[in-house]
Amino acid sequence: MAKIQGTCNEFCPNAEIKMRVRERMLHFFELKNGQKNVPGILVKEFTRSAADVKMPKGEDMRTMECLTRTVEYLLKEIVMDNRMPYRMAYDFIFDRLRAVRREIVIQMFDAQQTAKLLEPIVMFLAYSRYRLCDEPIELFDAKICDQHLQDCLTGVLRCYKTLDEDESKSRHTIRDIQRRCFIESVYQVFNLGCPESMERALTLPDHVRQDPTFKICFQMSLFYHQGNLYRVLMGLPKLPHILCALAATKLQTMRRRVLQMFTHAYNKQFDVPGSYLLRVMLIDSPTHLKQQCGHYGLEVSKDVPKAVRFNKSDFINSAETIKEQHEPFVDSKLKLVYLPEVLLLKKFV
Amino acid sequence: MFGSLANYLSNVERCAEACSGQALSDFLSLRDVHVQNDKLHVAQPEKMVERYLDAPLDEVVGAHLKVIYYLAQNPTNYMEAYTQQAACCSAVVKLLQMMKDENWCLPVMYRVCLDLRYLAQACEKHGRSFTPGQILEKAADCMMACFRVCAADGRASEEETKRLGMMNLVNQLFKIYFRINKLHLCKPLIRAIDNCAFKDTFPLPEQITYKYFVGRRAMFDSNYRMAVEDLSYAFTHCPDRFGSNKRLILIYLVPVKMLLGYLPSKVLLQRHDLLLFHDLAQTLKAGNVNKFDEIVRENEKVLIRSGIYLLVEKLKFIVYRNLFKKVFAIRQTHQLDLGDFMTALQFVGVTDVSLDETHCIIANLIYEGKIKGYISYAHNKLVVSKQNPFPPLISV
Repeated sequence: MAKIQGTCNEFCPNAEIKMRVRERMLHFFELKNGQKNVPGILVKEFTRSAADVKMPKGEDMRTMECLTRTVEYLLKEIVMDNRMPYRMAYDFIFDRLRAVRREIVIQMFDAQQTAKLLEPIVMFLAYSRYRLCDEPIELFDAKICDQHLQDCLTGVLRCYKTLDEDESKSRHTIRDIQRRCFIESVYQVFNLGCPESMERALTLPDHVRQDPTFKICFQMSLFYHQGNLYRVLMGLPKLPHILCALAATKLQTMRRRVLQMFTHAYNKQFDVPGSYLLRVMLIDSPTHLKQQCGHYGLEVSKDVPKAVRFNKSDFINSAETIKEQHEPFVDSKLKLVYLPEVLLLKKFV
Repeated sequence: MFGSLANYLSNVERCAEACSGQALSDFLSLRDVHVQNDKLHVAQPEKMVERYLDAPLDEVVGAHLKVIYYLAQNPTNYMEAYTQQAACCSAVVKLLQMMKDENWCLPVMYRVCLDLRYLAQACEKHGRSFTPGQILEKAADCMMACFRVCAADGRASEEETKRLGMMNLVNQLFKIYFRINKLHLCKPLIRAIDNCAFKDTFPLPEQITYKYFVGRRAMFDSNYRMAVEDLSYAFTHCPDRFGSNKRLILIYLVPVKMLLGYLPSKVLLQRHDLLLFHDLAQTLKAGNVNKFDEIVRENEKVLIRSGIYLLVEKLKFIVYRNLFKKVFAIRQTHQLDLGDFMTALQFVGVTDVSLDETHCIIANLIYEGKIKGYISYAHNKLVVSKQNPFPPLISV
């Protein structure tokens, strides 16, 4: 199959603009100042390859430079556009980035280019995974987001491996190395305690393994693997913004495991003080603790300060793990960053 | 063996007629002496081969001759040789499909697949222009084609079925999948062997290899009891003269057993040059966290290369358990102060440990059944059971 090279220098190829304007298929974010049917900036939509679709032509494909600009536009202008709830922006960006990913495959970009384009996509998915984690499933499907995040991650990691093998081609700038370390950290946090991800971590080049952020993430994964949840939980607030946010989506599972463990370990005749539980479970308020315990059938005493009485038989094993929610310590971290800078990997801590 | 091409081909023909799979496999082996015979190095042997042999054997032999031709080039053209070997393998698939109710050519299949793997490895080593593991994965696909023919041969009688070749192929595939780190691909193969009615009648050497890989996979899945069972089988049945193989099995068997509470004997480890595990076992017994970490750190590279680093890291909680058992032995009481445990942890080098963490570690050990007892938070005490407060790990 011949390689197709994109020649289009706009976010959206001309043919698609014409068709979509004519058919009035414009997304809210593509309208000029939100006016009905007045086209603003259009971005190429995701379409599946199908048997009845003609092979895409060069003019329908964007150049590498243009794709980079597209990603930057989406993760700068649209992400910060708060006329609509974030999930609307997410749906729009998700689709348009998927089109970018498809072009990467069709145009067969090399490892360096592919990694450059995929890295911000990984960041966007990781961030959105946390930001939208408390939305109902009809509005945000976490599973699909996870799947795409994993796909993009493995895609980037494959590129890194290729670049490692082929040292002649790779000219790493400090920025490239920083970007890589961050993405490798995302992979560790996203696959906390998985043998595959840890095996990978063990064979990475030294400059990645020695990176301070990566080190924390790998250590956390190792502690998770050993069953030392305490150290995993204590490591969590030390992580920078997006990593912290992504790790926070695993919190409910860990809290559940801690509670379950405690029902076996603590005697049912004595209370365990709430302050201790708040600390080790990274919970911000007594009400939140009460909600956690209540959900799994554990008794919380009424007097202040709150205390919990653990009883093995009280724990409802069949209870579903509580849905992920926003954590104050994460939100306060995210408030301090300028999002586009982080998503586009221009700032790491 | 150093005759002309015609001589070689008529020999091949005779083997095929006599249904002598072993002899034929020698004629197709890349380790056989005929490979060095430069009269056989022909770039386009098709015409000549067709005169002597019927289809599809002519394809098999033709491709084989091309392989040795490319291997004889200077510099050796591994990539072309591999491509021809893959063609040879596909021709063997045709050969297998054609033969109903006979399996004499299984040795040929073994040999061709084995050489295919060796060549793929050579390509990976010498070539540079492709992603690592790609060629090995392609080689595995070729072998899978053979495997499918074998596995589907359900009608033939037990002596004549090609299903007898399954385990040999599965082992070859395991070797590739472990090398390229695609362990999930092993699962359907294991299921195929498990469903095989005569799975215990495969030759012993094949069974040993099979159990070795299945054990390692179980280990990777954290299924430690299964892993011990399979690896022990492999270890006890592997004859003593294969010292390096026995050592290889032990590298996995010893740490898994340690995790289940068995400590290895020094004599055994000494015999197989694995004293690293003896040192590890000693620190484990002593509950010396610091020394344990030190040994792991010093041997990090070896442990990672053998794929047991993560397993060894999992022993950490057993080190804690043994340390706490020592605290119990010193205090001689059933009500133990948690502060004592924290001091003990600090003493063996966990200097940054807090009381909260001590609580959590003990809670975890109780949860896993490694300590029998309960914690009273208010009194800051661990109350251990009067009977068997630290049950032997084997029973947990």
